[in-house]
Amino acid sequence: MVVRYQAAMRGAVVAGCLVGAAAMNGAAAQTLTMASSAPITSVDPHYHTFTPNASLDAHLFDSLLDMDAQSRPVAALAESWKLVDERTWELKLRQGVKFHNGAAFTAEDVAYTLDRVPRVPNSPGSFAIYTKPIVGVEIVDPHTIRLRTAGIYPLVPIDLTQVAIIPHGLGKDPATEDFNSGKNAIGTGPFRFVSYKPGDRVEMDRFDGYWGKKPYWQHVSFRIIPNDGARTAALLSGDIGFIEAVPTTDAARLRTDKRVHLAETVSLRIIFLTLDQSRDGPTPFITGPNGEKLDRNPLKDHRVREALSIAINRPAIVERVMEGAAIPAGQFLPPGSYSYAPDLPPPAYDAARAKKLLAEAGFPNGFRITLHGPNDRYVNDAKIIQSIGQMWTRIGVQTSVEGITWSNYIARANKQEFSAYLLGWGSSSGEASNPLRSLVATFDAAKGRGAVNRGRYSNPQLDALIDKAVTTADDAAREKVLQQATKLAMDDVAFIPLHNQKNIWGMRSDLTYIARADEQSRAQDVRPVQ
Amino acid sequence: MSAALDIPAPPKEETPFQRFAREFADSKLAVLGLVIVLLVAVLAIAAPWIAPQNPYDLAQLDIMDGRLPPGSVSADGLTFWLGTDDQGRDMLSGIIYGLRISLSVGVGSAVIAGVIGSALGLIAAYAGGKIETAIMRLVDLQLSFPSILVALMILAFLGKGVANVMLALVIVEWARYARTARSAALVERRREYIEAAECLALPRWRVLFRHLLPNCMPPLIVIGTIQIARAITLEATLSFLGLGVPITEPSLGLLIANGYQYMLSGKYWISFYPGIALLVTIVAINLVGDHLRDVLNPRLQR
Repeated sequence: MVVRYQAAMRGAVVAGCLVGAAAMNGAAAQTLTMASSAPITSVDPHYHTFTPNASLDAHLFDSLLDMDAQSRPVAALAESWKLVDERTWELKLRQGVKFHNGAAFTAEDVAYTLDRVPRVPNSPGSFAIYTKPIVGVEIVDPHTIRLRTAGIYPLVPIDLTQVAIIPHGLGKDPATEDFNSGKNAIGTGPFRFVSYKPGDRVEMDRFDGYWGKKPYWQHVSFRIIPNDGARTAALLSGDIGFIEAVPTTDAARLRTDKRVHLAETVSLRIIFLTLDQSRDGPTPFITGPNGEKLDRNPLKDHRVREALSIAINRPAIVERVMEGAAIPAGQFLPPGSYSYAPDLPPPAYDAARAKKLLAEAGFPNGFRITLHGPNDRYVNDAKIIQSIGQMWTRIGVQTSVEGITWSNYIARANKQEFSAYLLGWGSSSGEASNPLRSLVATFDAAKGRGAVNRGRYSNPQLDALIDKAVTTADDAAREKVLQQATKLAMDDVAFIPLHNQKNIWGMRSDLTYIARADEQSRAQDVRPVQ
Repeated sequence: MSAALDIPAPPKEETPFQRFAREFADSKLAVLGLVIVLLVAVLAIAAPWIAPQNPYDLAQLDIMDGRLPPGSVSADGLTFWLGTDDQGRDMLSGIIYGLRISLSVGVGSAVIAGVIGSALGLIAAYAGGKIETAIMRLVDLQLSFPSILVALMILAFLGKGVANVMLALVIVEWARYARTARSAALVERRREYIEAAECLALPRWRVLFRHLLPNCMPPLIVIGTIQIARAITLEATLSFLGLGVPITEPSLGLLIANGYQYMLSGKYWISFYPGIALLVTIVAINLVGDHLRDVLNPRLQR
């Protein structure tokens, strides 16, 4: 009796499993579970200029223009754009586009969005930098809009790639919390919002009224797995189909694993060292070779900066620390980008000349320095600063290294507390005016210039060139000026470029992804192998 | 008469230490543990003369030697018997120096916490009343928090560094000594010799530290050895979480953390060998501690 009962149970359990498996297979075929490497800070697309948020927003929302995989602007909600006069852009909007709530997309939504962006409260990184140059909006007809800028400003189309369009039906000043709850999370994107669990996941369903190419996936589960090992393990175990930011330590092994497939491309993110230029007198983390106080800041001397730059063996860092997942850099952008300066290769490693330069600058016995860096922000950040510590110590600059957790680190960096420190910058616009204006232009909060120029490097000649570049309308002429400015900044060692990271995505071997230079992970670009 | 010759020679008087040593030697495992502990201690003390490389001197490292498997030879002829980590640090040297940090942090914090905790425990037991209540409630409060949580908070506040780790461990660990010392002292203080000492009108501190303390020592020694192992584990945990020692001066915990990232890529040696070193050290200390508890426990008199 007991035996028969057990057998019956076993049968029932097996049957149940079969049914379950069949159901799961059906759903799994159309469900993509993907893993993001950092928690998003909000579903509100205008809250925080932050790559993980941009990744999510690309599923739910569209911008007037989009960036293609190589970060060149392409048509999205705007079908075409042109300058009607020096200061006025006219955009023709796509017809027949619907929001997730069924409302039709018109010029009014564009005007509404541009009006809302600068007024998002408590934004930790405002999108106003993209809308600020636009001083006038004129709706010509429901599918034509004109944007007026104060001066000549050729970057309007590029800036607009960053601004997600939301429907004007949301009313005056929609709250960020209402986006997180899903009430306001309405866009024209290929997926519609289902639910958001902060720090864990966002669930999305395919939006069948989408104007563009239909995504393959019916359902997308956007998970947040910040731990590198856990993300890779989840991919290998099959729990997750698609992961971003494959750790360089695992990439080599994954390349040989038949179960997975990697997609990689050089990113727009430059990893660099900032040197304290804010003090003429002693800088906090440099002392003489025997620990004695110095009366001046050696980093103000161009020869010292150059010595520190050429003492770094960039190919060695790329090969050994980054395990090939980067390319050595001598300027902001990777080769092939608009405004990349071809005559500016990565500084060649030359320890002998570095020593000579130090001696010429009055430091024949070097000095002592502490190099700071985050230990949880950029790929291999703490390892990179240790390697640089080795290299600097070899030319007589006795280096201590300190890795600090990001939140603490960036707060101190913003207060100019360090002497030499590691940072990264992703040039979202894909051209050099963005890093020139943000990283090396003279710091000026009122003009919004040098916003992240933490070293406070300042060179009036460079500022003049940058001003000239951003007011040159002709693309070819502007590129020339941008290259000139880049060369000036690099020759003066405004900061020490190290490398451009490679972005690596990992996925099941039956999937493909078009690797993006801007680091965004988009489910609509993940498709089964044909 | 020859009767005198039949009288067996009186058994040699065994000193207390000899008896202790004989009883300790009963357990082969504990002796093995003691040998390992001594060996590790010698390694740690003599690290600068034994280790093939100074792993904390950046000038001696070369990233071109990074992640070499055990037995590889560097460009300048140094053999890495246990391989290298990502910075080209010789793992053998790293482990020897790491043991130095682990042991000094472990022993140092255990001794300091022991002195503070025992003193407070004795005072509580001897003084009684409000002083006892105040000290023991503080102990209860301290023990009600998980030690790792308290240590994390202290380090987040103070910042990294060996001295700060030690301070954090002392703050976390003193309460256990206090509790043990008090319970031992409560028993002892009702004994006749204390009464006798008090009748002689000896100063209170003298009764406390010359009469009471020595007789409370056995349980404190046992707690001490176990706390050393605990402190080493806690230090390794804190370093593993990135809150302990500086990245250029890795302890065993940080070495394991560095190697942990390579676990999926088959470079096992970066975390495996420091892990083994940590495991062996802690097991050895615990073996010694466990057996000490048996030997020093009068109720288990064999």
